[in-house]
Amino acid sequence: MATYTIQRPENRSPWSGFLNEFMRDMNPALQSRSLGSQDVRGVYPPVNLQETDEGYLLTAEIPGISPENLDVSIEGSTVTLSGERKVEFEAGNGTSVHRRERQSGNFRRGFELPSEIDLDLAKATHKNGVLTLRLPKSATSKPRQIAIETR
Amino acid sequence: MFGRHGNKELEAREKAEIATEQTRPGLVFRPDVDILEQSDAYIIHADMPGVSEKTIEIDLDKGVLTMNAQAENAIAGNEPNQHLHSEYRSGGYHREFRVSEDIDSSSVSATMKDGVLELRLPKSAQSQPRKISVAAA
Repeated sequence: MATYTIQRPENRSPWSGFLNEFMRDMNPALQSRSLGSQDVRGVYPPVNLQETDEGYLLTAEIPGISPENLDVSIEGSTVTLSGERKVEFEAGNGTSVHRRERQSGNFRRGFELPSEIDLDLAKATHKNGVLTLRLPKSATSKPRQIAIETR
Repeated sequence: MFGRHGNKELEAREKAEIATEQTRPGLVFRPDVDILEQSDAYIIHADMPGVSEKTIEIDLDKGVLTMNAQAENAIAGNEPNQHLHSEYRSGGYHREFRVSEDIDSSSVSATMKDGVLELRLPKSAQSQPRKISVAAA
């Protein structure tokens, strides 16, 4: 099992925010979406999202993507998965291809979660081609009970 | 185009569920595969996210190669979580191939990495191309 360092927004160049927005404007597939509200068929990678006591649990099926080709970043309540899937494929050199079903290529997908994430407690692990993100809600976005005074 | 395979946007495809009768409970999917042939072996790559090497069964019998595997649930079952959104389902994987007679079944090997199974099916010695050196008389 591999553990990732989740990228913080301040580590990025000042241009990347602008560039991301630009890319989002250019390509609707790259827009951050509220999960469940739109048709997400065909958007890579497929994810499942659960709500836990502490926050959110996001899993994604990403077979064949090694940790160095995967990038997880979180900003506020937005989680972005991006990377490249490389499929070992050396045609020529005496190799012939009988069947080719597995895809290769780049991906980038953003999710807008219902509330903000505590970056310090967020964890990303990778096992058997499945990425698991544990994303606790930040203290400010957790519901709090307020004591009622009686007079 | 730019490069042979790079810089392409990946598109997710729904895992194909196998509809035939099953003796085991649960969902069974058909993994995507690549099959390559080299001079000395056939190589099969199969996408099986969630599968650890422990649950894979590979069988080569009467020219039919069968692969079976079971995905481990990444989330422990004791977490009664609320499912907000679901795009994929987990279960088993199954696929069969008829393979040519020239495989050396005793030396088939399999490795698993990042949810991808790699099977190496070496060709038997007789069927490998051989160079015959011609001796000068």
